[in-house]
Parts: sequence; structure tokens; C-alpha cells
Amino acid sequence: MPPIDISDYLDDRRDDGVFRVHRKAFSDEALFELEQKHIFERTWSFLGLDSQLPKANDFITGSIGRTSVIVARDPKGRLGAFLNACRHKGALVCRTESGNGKYLVCAYHGWAYNTAGESVDIKDREAGCYSEGFDKDDHNLLPLPRFESYKGLLFGSLNPDVPPLREFLGEITALLDLAMDQGPQGMEFVPGRIIYTYDANWKLQMDNGNDFYHLTSTHPSLMAVVERRVQAKAGNLEAKQFDWSKRFTQQGGSFTFKNGHTSTWLNQGQPENRPIFNTLEEAKSRIGATRADWMLKLRNLTIFPNMQIADSTSLLIRTFRPLAVDKTEMRVWCLAPVGEAPQIRAWRLRQFEDFFNVSGMATPDDTTIYEDAQVGFQSAGLEWLQGYQRGMKAETPGANASAAELQMTPVASTQGPYDMQTETCFHATYREWGRLLQTGIAGTKPYGI
Amino acid sequence: MDSKYELGRQIPFREAAYLDDRQWDEWLALFSTDCEYWVPSWLTEEVLSTDPQKEIAHIYYASRAGLEDRIVRIRSGRSPATTPLRRTTHILGSVLVIEQSADSMKLRSSWSCHVFEQRHKKTTTLFGHAEYALSLQGDDWRIRAKKTVLQNDYLPSMVDIYCI
Repeated sequence: MPPIDISDYLDDRRDDGVFRVHRKAFSDEALFELEQKHIFERTWSFLGLDSQLPKANDFITGSIGRTSVIVARDPKGRLGAFLNACRHKGALVCRTESGNGKYLVCAYHGWAYNTAGESVDIKDREAGCYSEGFDKDDHNLLPLPRFESYKGLLFGSLNPDVPPLREFLGEITALLDLAMDQGPQGMEFVPGRIIYTYDANWKLQMDNGNDFYHLTSTHPSLMAVVERRVQAKAGNLEAKQFDWSKRFTQQGGSFTFKNGHTSTWLNQGQPENRPIFNTLEEAKSRIGATRADWMLKLRNLTIFPNMQIADSTSLLIRTFRPLAVDKTEMRVWCLAPVGEAPQIRAWRLRQFEDFFNVSGMATPDDTTIYEDAQVGFQSAGLEWLQGYQRGMKAETPGANASAAELQMTPVASTQGPYDMQTETCFHATYREWGRLLQTGIAGTKPYGI
Repeated sequence: MDSKYELGRQIPFREAAYLDDRQWDEWLALFSTDCEYWVPSWLTEEVLSTDPQKEIAHIYYASRAGLEDRIVRIRSGRSPATTPLRRTTHILGSVLVIEQSADSMKLRSSWSCHVFEQRHKKTTTLFGHAEYALSLQGDDWRIRAKKTVLQNDYLPSMVDIYCI
């Protein structure tokens, strides 16, 4: 295989007003391995939320790329993260998505660990005639080289040489706060799991989570349903879904950040359709009127490379995990304030299911289109995609007035009427994607640490 | 079996046939206007959710109005996931009568649904069981509540009411 040259996949010529991604960035099988090695195994990945492990000896399992990971709370209440692989023969130690146990015992040969990851029993060790070399070895679960949290969001890295999580997230924490500060008692995942796959590249989801441009053409069937709800007062009114026609007249924009993070936002024409609307006064008193007002706006963000927060209808966290160049596993969670009033919680769920579920009425139209795009990417002669250039003339470096309201300094900002539907928000993610691949291929450290 | 109850026991079969034959109005008419339609999510590998007001559902509607939305969407012709419409065949195994009274029945069916997606020549199968609460309205049985348990909840890229 000839060496990979990232300029074959990404044509980023700012001075010429050109930003293009090649179709092969989504379809080249060689990239899957490189992305695993140089992106997922070399930077921070989102693993879960601390509210998933409230008690001592609770654990959850997750993954960083192909690597299965355990997050566990030890008897002293400390969280730790470990490779979910027995030191003996590599079998999964935790075989369920979650659980509670003082000891984590491998089902193969019975090696046991505590929830701090320490080896507590090697079955029949005394009779095992082990060598001194074995006795000198460490038999604990391998801790993740890095494991940190931000406002309950748990992240791990297989690469020790990453910046501290807070520094990695950087200025986008201002937008993360607008999700994680919604509840006075913190935030939690609503119980219940929604997991699905689609047969297309992971970066289609990464893009689509901030893609305003597709809404009117991909989701008109949901808009027809909502229009009927509004005009005929018929249908699932319980969802109290947003009336899209009221969104298209709003101002919005994007902010891009270092390390591949990006976001889009839109002013809110129907604040009363937000589940947090009725508790907004409390939020104002806690975080100030400006930030509380921003909580009502539509905000979508990507924390590169594996997590998105969508607060376009009720609040969502999703992860995407590439299984192959053309297969992606999705997991979505409904994120909600701890202690939310029961009737508000129920409404939040109905709004979420209506839009975000793969058995709902918006997401299946997205995933179907991703699969269509994956077929299109096979087209010899298509070459460079033109889907990354809207909004380029509107982009300004650093913070604009809206970013300043949040005392946040993004790398670049755009702002304009809804119709602009900027695609500049994707630039940060592809620049970081290319940078991590390029440094990986060159054998240099991605963060200079 | 009394023919009245036999008609009730046929409801799951009729529902499946209406979905496969795309007789949407007939399908909707099987449900009472105040029916509860619930496809619970699993909380863990082994525990099914029990409260749709506190736990996320794959689908939850407190009345038939939500099902009507689904048909509006299908008929709009503007949903990429829905055009061309996937072909489906429901296979129902046992349909057990759990209880019956003068004007109500409870049934449990086991089902699978084969879904053929024509654009990508892909077939998926979803399967599980379903619990029906029926009530007699005039001479006809109506579905007052349906709870569909989806056993293979590692879902494909699209699930709609006619895929389960």
C-alpha cells in the first residue's frame, strides 16, 4: 500500500476560499485502521456520565474505538477506568453493560479484581507452580493511561500524552456548561438504552449533528406531521414538538474550536416548548440571565472525535463508534436534570422519542441518507465533495458578539439568518481529523507532549 | 372456542396483515382512540423498562393520535426512510389468550417481522412478543393497549410501526 497522503482526502486552502473533503475520506478501507490507531487510540473519548455509577462498586462498560473499557467506582467512592481485558488470557472481565460487584471476576479462569482494578485472586495460585518471573509481574487490570471528568462527563484516553481534559475541551466548555448546568442538582441519563447501527461511515453522523442545511429536504415528513399538529390540533400533541416554520426566521450561527470541537446554534422562537422553560427562573438565579437564555436556544455540539450533544429538541448525548469504514454504532441518551418534575420528565421523553429515536420520525431519515451517501461515495469520478463551503464568506476569526455574551473565544464564528445554514462548522473537525492522521503517519506526537 | 373470543384472538393476525398489506386505515381502526401503544426499551441486557413516564421507550403513545402521525408521515411520500416503502412480512407464532371476560380479552403473541429494504438489497428481522388488551366496542374488538417487547434491540438504521 502506498503511504497515505492526507492532502488526497482534505483540500484546505483558506486563502483561496477552498475547503473540500474527498469522497474517499468516507469510503477508503485503509482509513479505518488509520483512524482507529491515530485518532481514537490517541485522543480523549467520551465514556459516560458519573450518574451512571452512583454507588460504591458500580461499574459500566464502554469502548474507545475497538478497545473495551470498564469504568468502576471503588469502595472509597473513587472512579477509575481500566481495559476490560483479563490479564490472564484477555477475556472480557465485565461481560455486561453495567452492574455492581465488590469483585470483578473473569468468567474464563476466575482471576478476580476489585473495583479499584487491583488483582485480588489468581485462582489456585499456590498450586500453580508459577515462576519467580510471574510473581514479579503486576497482575492488576490495566488502567486507562488517562481518565478525567468534566461536570460529570467521563472521558478516557489510551494515549498518556494528551493535554488535561479541561484544556482539551478548551473554550467549548462554555457550551457544555449550558447542557450540564440545566439542573440545580446536576444531570442524569434517563434509564433505557437506545442503540443502533447504520451502514455508512461515522463521519456522516459527525457532520449531520451540526448540519442545518439538510433539515428542510430530509425531514419534510416530520414537518408535515408537526404542521398538522399545530393547525389541526391532531396527532401526538404530548410531544409538544417544535414548529419548524418558526425556526426558519431565526438568526443563528456556528462556533468552531481547537482540537476538532464544533457547534451550531439558533435563536429560539418557542422557548415554551423547552422542558426547562418552567424552571428557568431558578436557572437564571444560579447561572445568570444570559446563560439561562442561551439554554433555551437550539445548540448542537461535537466533542471530537466520538460525542455530540444536541439540544435542538429535548437534550441528547450521542456517541458514534466506527465498526468498519461503512458501519457505525450509535448510542443515544436522554440527558435530564436530576429531580425534574415527573410530568416534565414524561414530556421530555415524548419529545425526545418523537425526533431522536431510530424508531422515531426524524433520525431514520438521516440514517437512510447516510447509507445512500455511502453508496454514492463509491462513484469513480465524483472526487471532491462540495458540501463544506456554505458560510465561508460569513466566517470571522475568534469571537463575535454572540460568543462574547458567553465570554467564550472560539477559533472562528459565523452568524446570520437561518438560510445561511453554514457548513464552516465542519472545518474544525476535518482539520483535526487530518492533523491527527498526518502526525500519526509521520510518527510525531499529536499534542507535542 | 366461542366465536366472539375467536374473533378477538384473530386481532394480532389482522393487525399484521393490515401492516404488511399497507391498509393503514384498517390498521388504525383496530385501535381504540384512547389506546396506549408502547414499545419499551430495555434497561439492561436482562431488565425491561416498566414505566414509560420515567424511562425512555422506543415508541410510546398515550392515544391513537400518535399512530395517526405515523400514517401521515408514511403517506406524505417525503420521508427518505419510508420511500420506497420497505416490504414487510410479519410471522406470528403463538397467540395465547391470557384472560377473557364478557367485554375484554388479554392476548400474548410472539412475532417476527422480516423487513426488506430495496435500495440496499438488505433484509433485517426484528422479533419479540406483544401483549394486547382488547375491549369489545359494539360487535368489534378494539385494541385498548398494545405493548411490544423487542427482543433484538440492537437496532438497524430504521424502525417504524410496520417493522414490529
